[in-house]
Amino acid sequence: MTPSPLDNDRLVWMYTQMVRIREFEERVKRTFEEHPGVIRGHTHLADGVEASIVGSVANMQPGDYVLTTYRCHGYPIALGTDTKAIMAEIYGRATGICKGLGGSMHLCDPSRGFLGTSGIVGQGIPHATGAAYAAQIRGEGQVVLCFFGDGASKQGAFHESLNIAALWKLPIVYVMENNGYNVETQTHQEDANAAAGEDLSVKAKAYSMPGVTIDGGDPVAVYETVGAAMERARRGEGPTLIESKVYRLSAHGNLIAPPGVPLHYPEHEAIAVFGDREQYEAALKGDPVPQFRGRLVNDGVMTNEQAEEILKAARDEMQEAVTFGVESPFPENDEALAYVYA
Amino acid sequence: MSHELPYIAAIDEAIRLEMERDETVIYFGQNMATTENAPFRQQFGNDRVRVTPISETAEIGMAVGAALAGYRPVVELYMAEFMLVAMDQVVNEGPRFRAMSGGQVKVPLVLKAGWGFTAGWAGQHTGTLTNMFMGIPGLKVVSPSTAADAKGLMASAIRDDNPVVYFHNYLLTLDHGEVPDGEYLVPLGVADVRREGSDVTIVANAHMLNQSLKAAETLAGEGIQAEVIDPRTYAPLDVDTILESVGKTGRLVLVDSAPRHSAASNVIAGEVVERGFDLLKAPIVQVTALDATVPYSEPLEAYVIPDADRVAAAVRGVLGTAPVGA
Amino acid sequence: MTADDARRLLRTMWRIRHFEERVGRLKRTDEVFGLIHLSVGQEGVAAATCLQLRDDDAVYSGHRAHGHALAKGALLPRVMAELMGRETGVCRGMGGSMHLVDVEHGFLGATGVVGGNIPMALGSALAARRLGGDTVAVVFFGDGAVQAGHFNETVNLAALWGLPLIMVCENNGFAEFTPRSAHTVVERVSDVVSPYGIVRETVDGNDVLAVWERFGAFLARARAGEGPFLLECLTVRLRGHYEGDPAAYREAIADEEWQKMDPILRLQRHALAQGWVDEDEPAAIEAEAAEEVEAAVAFGRESAFPPPELVAELVYAGSDA
Ligand SMILES: Cc1ncc(C[n+]2csc(CCOP(=O)(O)OP(=O)(O)O)c2C)c(N)n1
Ligand SMILES: Cc1ncc(C[n+]2csc(CCOP(=O)(O)OP(=O)(O)O)c2C)c(N)n1
Ligand SMILES: [Mg+2]
Ligand SMILES: [Mg+2]
Repeated sequence: MTPSPLDNDRLVWMYTQMVRIREFEERVKRTFEEHPGVIRGHTHLADGVEASIVGSVANMQPGDYVLTTYRCHGYPIALGTDTKAIMAEIYGRATGICKGLGGSMHLCDPSRGFLGTSGIVGQGIPHATGAAYAAQIRGEGQVVLCFFGDGASKQGAFHESLNIAALWKLPIVYVMENNGYNVETQTHQEDANAAAGEDLSVKAKAYSMPGVTIDGGDPVAVYETVGAAMERARRGEGPTLIESKVYRLSAHGNLIAPPGVPLHYPEHEAIAVFGDREQYEAALKGDPVPQFRGRLVNDGVMTNEQAEEILKAARDEMQEAVTFGVESPFPENDEALAYVYA
Repeated sequence: MSHELPYIAAIDEAIRLEMERDETVIYFGQNMATTENAPFRQQFGNDRVRVTPISETAEIGMAVGAALAGYRPVVELYMAEFMLVAMDQVVNEGPRFRAMSGGQVKVPLVLKAGWGFTAGWAGQHTGTLTNMFMGIPGLKVVSPSTAADAKGLMASAIRDDNPVVYFHNYLLTLDHGEVPDGEYLVPLGVADVRREGSDVTIVANAHMLNQSLKAAETLAGEGIQAEVIDPRTYAPLDVDTILESVGKTGRLVLVDSAPRHSAASNVIAGEVVERGFDLLKAPIVQVTALDATVPYSEPLEAYVIPDADRVAAAVRGVLGTAPVGA
Repeated sequence: MTADDARRLLRTMWRIRHFEERVGRLKRTDEVFGLIHLSVGQEGVAAATCLQLRDDDAVYSGHRAHGHALAKGALLPRVMAELMGRETGVCRGMGGSMHLVDVEHGFLGATGVVGGNIPMALGSALAARRLGGDTVAVVFFGDGAVQAGHFNETVNLAALWGLPLIMVCENNGFAEFTPRSAHTVVERVSDVVSPYGIVRETVDGNDVLAVWERFGAFLARARAGEGPFLLECLTVRLRGHYEGDPAAYREAIADEEWQKMDPILRLQRHALAQGWVDEDEPAAIEAEAAEEVEAAVAFGRESAFPPPELVAELVYAGSDA
């Protein structure tokens, strides 16, 4: 069984979400210049990964869960969380989705099935597996989407979780966003499979689990593959590992520095560390957002005017989010102790 | 002779000097030495300096094994919290082997772990974990507060024959200080009296030490002379230096950025009460973080973590010049 | 395998068998302390691997370590004394059954935390590579350790760096009281490493000849600079998980069936058929082993407990600086 076919409205919806994520991330990045000091700590952007995010979560049905890493702005945007609340969270404001207590790395919107993230590499994988266990015993056909990076697959938690999921046939789809980097380490420098020129989805063999590798820059391919895996999970046939090949267009994260040093986004590691401008430029050429736009316009699904409107609407929306965030109050002191215990 | 260096560079200098001095010192971790140009890799080669995957258990376990096999590994962990995914190796393997083998083996390794990045890094990257490791027999724990100590303690940690957790405070990363040239060792287990005073003893480390020294300046203006001590090493803990000071001042304020019930100050307070009860003229006061996960938002972060004002207020409290309160 | 090899193997296996059975009896009167895991039935793996190693090869084991330590050359009376908590023990009575270490014979250590030894062995393999000789690192672990994260972390790194590490998994089908089928859908441990292009093999661990031959081949390649390798030895733990475990979760193996499987008896039959040993030689080897074990018990009983000062002395290593 394949997921329901994408009609034109749905395709345009997908494009719209991709543009919204892109514009949001652009504004996060620009905040470092426009409003110095407003964003603290560490942010990780999903520009370049929009197709993979949107193609995946487009399959989610009410009741499904999603858990992600610290690179987490894109998912709630596609799920419909108010971008004002997300931006305000990144700005540490009381109006943020986590009331300013979580910040960029720890977004969470349980009302939309987004159960949260971990800032510790790989540790969200067992969380998602546990949610799938809950879904299985609840027996209402919920499925879990678990997102993590290529680097996380070298974390013991990956191995332990996938084994249990396969053993118990848990309703979960593991989506590994392989962006070729763990910070500034290229995948072949740290992964035996990558070093051997293999797809990372071969790791699924160790768990007798299906493993597939897809082009994460093609939202329709992502939609279909993730959708089929989710359907399989929903039927009780167990988990799938999907390697979604992507390229993040920004550096791993903003500059890491003690208080007082202005933060900004450095150049992508391909250039900054490896001096490989070609790699980066090739990725830019393959940028999934304009690619998908061209395809939809070509196929007559959307007009250029429509695309411009979508872009303009997204820009307006994100401008509003920034303004809302900057103008929002900080949380009161007693909030710091309000959530220590439930 | 000395030269000026940022805290973080002083650590690198110590590692470099020790690697030059001793072939068996090896250095590995994530996201270091990814290219030929990385300074350590350039100087020492890809065999002694390696980038690893995000596999802390394997990295630290491997350090234990390489140590058993005659090397002195330094593991670059960046953030102390990343040790938590490898607690078995840090707590229950490395420090246990010497004792359990009846002294046949030693496990000389250094876990280089940044901590306390209370600069908007939110709940999972800002912890003060000293207390979590200082009670593990066989494991040494150091935490430098100055560039010179950063160098001297790293060199000593590498030469020490035991597993050492080397905490470096992220907030001090770019703080400059005078660092002695060439070989420089700060012995483990020796506290440093950073400021002499007769009215009250303040014990603090790293960023909290700087806050305490700042408070001491303010208090001096009020005629209060605070003695400020930096433990520098938490295991083994130099209780004697603290007791000696309390013998002089009769009052003790312990400052710690950990939550109140997981602060190293609890242990210090216990030791002082047991061994120096008669010396105390007033109850000990602990100025700690609140018992809460560090919030992301700047004002709340500041609310949870102690600062100079809170230290000064606590001192006034123990001296009876203001009500006691952290 | 030569006649001489067979004799050494038989001797080693009988020594382990009698050691383990005697320890089982000592446990009933608490002359050995704490949790005791015996390797009765699995002697073939320890003997056929360790006897091919040298003192400068590092060996790591886990909670079921007596056989590996003895086969690697640890002195039997000192291992017995260790289990009895005496100062003459290999670890001066500080380690006990789950934490045997005998540096002199390259038995770098056993750890009681399942799989905790695997990344350590990786460290020894890294050290071996850096030292540049032909030494190797060998790690023994059970089928239960394979599902632990550190196993996978180690496999990736060993494969990535091509380290001279030989992983020997003794797959006895159970982790504590749980059959492998309740731990994973992947029946063969060697399949778990299949994505990593590691040279791997599954053998009948009770077939000493097969283990000897396969391990020997891996060892030769590891000495020549290849690696890593994984040898899965299918074996049987004849007793409970720990001494005192009534093992109600599984059917006991019928005696006549065991006679056919027993690695010691199998090798004895083979050696006799090959004419490697005389008719009465096996019995003599066994008797000698039994005597040695009895003498070790006496040695342990005569030995003193360690002095209390030792506890503080061992907290930190003195510095060489
Ligand atoms: C256990 C742990 N180790 C190290 C880190 C530091 N760290 C944060 S993100 C990251 C890279 C992760 O790479 P990958 O899984 O590929 O995800 P990506 O960031 O590329 O999306 C690292 C090493 C961490 N957060 N947690
Ligand atoms: C990390 C950890 N979890 C659980 C245990 C408890 N435990 C001791 S032995 C054992 C079973 C191990 O099974 P296996 O690896 O197959 O070895 P076997 O006992 O069969 O030789 C368990 C679960 C432990 N020691 N360490
Ligand atoms: Mg990545
Ligand atoms: Mg087993």
